Amino acid sequence: MLEARQDRGVAFSALLERSIGLAFPFAVALVVASLILLVIGENPIDVFALMVAESFGTERRIAATLSAATPLLFTGVATAICFRSGAFNVGVEGAFVIGGLCGAFVGFTLPASFGYSLIPLAFIFAAAVSAAWLFVPGYLLAHYEVDEVVSTLMLNFVAFGITGYLVNGPLLSEISGNNVTPLVHDAAQLPRLLPPSTLHAGFLVGLVVVIAYGFWARRTPSGFEGALVGFNQRFSQAVGISIPSTIILVMVISGIVSGLGGASHALGQLHRFADGFSPGYGFTGMAVALLGRNNEIGILLGAILFGALASAGTTVQLFSDIPLDIVNIIEGTVMIFAVVELGRLSLLRRRRP
Amino acid sequence: MIVEQIIAASITLTTPILLAAMGGLINRQGGIVNIALDAKMLAGAFIAVIVSAATGSWFLAILVAAIGGAAIGYLFSLVITRAGANMIVAGLGLNVFVAGVLGFILNWFYDSSGTLRLADVVLLPRFLPEWTANIPVVGLALSELEPLTVFAWVSVFALPFLLANTRAGLRLRATGNAPQVARAMGVAEKSVQDASTAFAGFYSGLGGAHLALASIGLFNEGLTAGRGFIALAAFYFGRDKPVATALVCLLFGLLDATQIRMQTAGLPPKLIGTIPYLMVLVALCFAGWRRMKAKEAAS
Repeated sequence: MLEARQDRGVAFSALLERSIGLAFPFAVALVVASLILLVIGENPIDVFALMVAESFGTERRIAATLSAATPLLFTGVATAICFRSGAFNVGVEGAFVIGGLCGAFVGFTLPASFGYSLIPLAFIFAAAVSAAWLFVPGYLLAHYEVDEVVSTLMLNFVAFGITGYLVNGPLLSEISGNNVTPLVHDAAQLPRLLPPSTLHAGFLVGLVVVIAYGFWARRTPSGFEGALVGFNQRFSQAVGISIPSTIILVMVISGIVSGLGGASHALGQLHRFADGFSPGYGFTGMAVALLGRNNEIGILLGAILFGALASAGTTVQLFSDIPLDIVNIIEGTVMIFAVVELGRLSLLRRRRP
Repeated sequence: MIVEQIIAASITLTTPILLAAMGGLINRQGGIVNIALDAKMLAGAFIAVIVSAATGSWFLAILVAAIGGAAIGYLFSLVITRAGANMIVAGLGLNVFVAGVLGFILNWFYDSSGTLRLADVVLLPRFLPEWTANIPVVGLALSELEPLTVFAWVSVFALPFLLANTRAGLRLRATGNAPQVARAMGVAEKSVQDASTAFAGFYSGLGGAHLALASIGLFNEGLTAGRGFIALAAFYFGRDKPVATALVCLLFGLLDATQIRMQTAGLPPKLIGTIPYLMVLVALCFAGWRRMKAKEAAS
């Protein structure tokens, strides 16, 4: 009885902690954005109200928000999988771009007669290549203690270089001119859910990925081991968990999820690969994972929040002249303050058994 | 003739990377991996163009750019050292934030998307007499020499001395490499780290100023083109040693300078651009492999 109440108390304080953790960086970002808006003589409340209306006001706007959130579901999960095990993988961006190129490649090179089987083939190929891509830094970290932050960061630039070369050279579309591959076959395009909005079936795939991640993290032994390794390496080792194989596993899963995300974006959104394929989805995914504290519901909410910002930013610029860059300012502030430890938060944490 | 041009271009292209790398390596000696060098370079470039156009003084321009970079670095450091933010996430966030703020200012106050072109931007002066251009091989490079390049290379050779022989240098290295010792010595670690991050900001700001004022005299959102990350690659490859890092920067500058020529020889520039990053990966693997060997031998 007493135990149950204590449990509830712990659960409540954890919930409180999580919601403060989610709200604080965003509150700072809103303050920063408000100050900037005041400087240029705009009423921040009007602007934020417009942004809310533009991101959730009508069915079309909601569809646009979810469409913008789609890649972030993948990159958020891909980041969270590694962060919760203490592997500081910042290479999701590169793996996402590589996955996008591979997905598009399958979509336009295989003969159109493959029909709808093109879609699973593209997803599988993208996931496999991206998994191999992040296997490399994972292996190096696990066996040679190569700093994963630097290796994955460097691999991002290698990914940009390789894909940039391919879309300007061997895979350049002959008809469309610059920096794009040919369009994928019609059968390889993911169906749109609510035309004319660009919301596509990739969003559903993203939801499945988020749910699968939640299930894996909470209900499977390997998910539990992953969390344990992140929590305390020495203890994990003592109870017989192989740290190298756990690290490699989470990096490979992160690669698979990134690759699926890239393929979904290529087949659903752009229907091809283009230079500048990702405007930083991998990095925004980090903000999403941090804001959501690696929790599946947190990731879903975080992705929708950043999706809303992105979709509202574009129309706010149209209607009120406020530069789209306000979105970057908010996102950057959230990232800077995402993992700030507040005195209050650490107090709550200390009380935990 | 071609050799002369390549030498001159390499030296010019090395300077911004070199300045940022010197700042970054001091920062890392103090125990902070600064992933936001690029943001500070971008801010430095922006400030330099505005101040240069407003005052007509190149010196004021680079000074304000450096101070601006240092101020950003200091504030950034406070978030890390005092509020416990993660330096990697916060660093990536700062890159996004600064790009956003600069884009916003450009858009709102200058009504331009991406590029800031101002009249009367004063470039960095070439101070050697004109006859130096006639010296074979290095003549062109000498005639194009400007103060920031000289400053960068003076720093390269001054820093090892300062790190090894001054109180500040010793405290910095203790903070980053032996925190227990620093604590025992009574060093205010957090303040040392804040100072080293401000130092990194100062140098990155100068690097950005060089990008803007060495020859083009304008600001562009893509001006740094990831050079802050190249600088990071350089000091990782040079293992935080100033002279070794400078040589790596020179190599990256040479790669940059020859990229266009290699393109005509059939080598795609985008792939050549990945060489610095691949080099760091190889260097990290090699270092890791040696560490493992040493461990095996010890056990």
